[in-house]
Amino acid sequence: MLTLNNIEVIYSDVILVLKGVSLSVEEGNIVALLGANGAGKSTALKAMSGLLKTELGEVTDGSIEFEGTKIDRKSPEEIVKMGIVQVMEGRPLFEQLTVEENIKVGAYSRNDTDTIKRDMEDVYQYFPILARMRHRVSGYLSGGERQMLVMGRGLMARPKLMLLDEPSLGLSPALVKEIFRIIELINKEQNTSILVVEQNAFVALSISDHAYVMENGRIVLDGPSSKLKENEDIKEFYLGLSQVGKRKSYKDVKHYKRRKRWLS
Amino acid sequence: MTGFLQQAITGLMIGSLYALVAASIVLVYKATHVVSLAHGQLVAFGALFFWLFLGGLGLPFWMGLIPAFFLTALIGLLIERLTLRPLIGQPLIAAFLMTFAIFIALEGVFVLYLKGQTRALPTFLPEGNLDISGLSIPINQLISFFVAILLFAAVSLIFKYTKLGLGMRATAEDHRLAQSTGITVRNIFSYIWILSAVVAAIAGIATANVMDIYYMLPYIGINGLIVAICGGLDSLLGALVVGLLLGVVENVGAAYLDPIVGGGVKDVVGYVVLLLVLLIKPYGLFGLVRIERI
Repeated sequence: MLTLNNIEVIYSDVILVLKGVSLSVEEGNIVALLGANGAGKSTALKAMSGLLKTELGEVTDGSIEFEGTKIDRKSPEEIVKMGIVQVMEGRPLFEQLTVEENIKVGAYSRNDTDTIKRDMEDVYQYFPILARMRHRVSGYLSGGERQMLVMGRGLMARPKLMLLDEPSLGLSPALVKEIFRIIELINKEQNTSILVVEQNAFVALSISDHAYVMENGRIVLDGPSSKLKENEDIKEFYLGLSQVGKRKSYKDVKHYKRRKRWLS
Repeated sequence: MTGFLQQAITGLMIGSLYALVAASIVLVYKATHVVSLAHGQLVAFGALFFWLFLGGLGLPFWMGLIPAFFLTALIGLLIERLTLRPLIGQPLIAAFLMTFAIFIALEGVFVLYLKGQTRALPTFLPEGNLDISGLSIPINQLISFFVAILLFAAVSLIFKYTKLGLGMRATAEDHRLAQSTGITVRNIFSYIWILSAVVAAIAGIATANVMDIYYMLPYIGINGLIVAICGGLDSLLGALVVGLLLGVVENVGAAYLDPIVGGGVKDVVGYVVLLLVLLIKPYGLFGLVRIERI
């Protein structure tokens, strides 16, 4: 469905951020993109949604294809029309607009008024809390409510592929669980493919079908999520697990550092 | 007391013109965050085009109105396309200065065409006065006053309830976010300039209804800017209220203070009001309250 083919991204003509990233999202799948801060996850998402151009970034090499069409030169609004919606990091809202207006803006690229109404009800079904606040000015929402609103707004474009940038950021564990439950539900019911960028590797791996790990602008590891979960390196560096029941010592810590051998 | 009321009502009529000019500036600011100085010229050119068709070619009212709107909108669109679009992403001060350059350039054209003469619109609205218990209101001014009010209502409704209005409000808040939801921000900019140019043309025609078209006409844009800033720059309601208020204050102030200081109060009052408002409320009377979460 979506394929990134060895793409290279440069910001402001000098800063090389992605150094040849390839990944693909199959239809109906949930794919997780993991990695530490600054690994280039968000940049990869912006390259897909076309928002890179608004930040002086450019795909200088490789290609991005969505359902057989090259999209790396297209504008963000064209890409939204084609069916890719990015839910940006930090949950940006139109703060002066009400909750309902925010949701309506999400359907801006569509012209089918009747189905928009129905989809809006769907969004309220997924996020009942938004229905109760529909006339509230959205700038005053809490973090969790904001996350639900930006996802609801994204859904209104009827995306075939939804790019979620750190949905769990700064939310309580209970809320993270709830958000990811809904992500899974959306994936099943709307048949929306989902690419989720996460720091919270545990939840991301538990709902995704496939996962990629990024570091320093490269994909260093990928595979089915169930397999990655068992991977020793992933366990140690992303899931924070160590061999249970054994005593830890600084010697082991050093040993772990050496084990992370995918680093260039 | 009747004297005061008479002055106040005349002020209201003038104020509605200021409000319209301010509205055209506010519209552009709302969606693009560019404070436009060029709108005084749009107002003047709107009036001039209308005169060309009505006085120059002798066309009937409607036949003059539509092409005047069209041509003014075209100027607005060209300003946006040719001068402001290349500046997207640059500091806003660049766009602001660009509108000033446009003001000067268009003023050259305007003065060159008029050659120091004045042009008077032929009467196109019913004449006569409406007399209510000793107060006399010119009917043509009353009509333009209500047109202004209706226009405000219409534009506000467009902003509040239509899809285009929603897109404009969304764009005003965050261009990048608007793009990410599928709004073509560039188109929104074009639409807003067209809409604002038409409002400016209406303001120009309404102004030319009460005074001749001469080289000072574009400077009503300064009054419009004062009103827009006092009203909060992004508030249509602010533009309306402050516009009417400024008209009244100017007129009443001139009537009572001119004999004492020997004239010229009208030209100063606006700036005094602006100074006071900005001292007390730096965001303007109806400016948007920024939502800040802690």
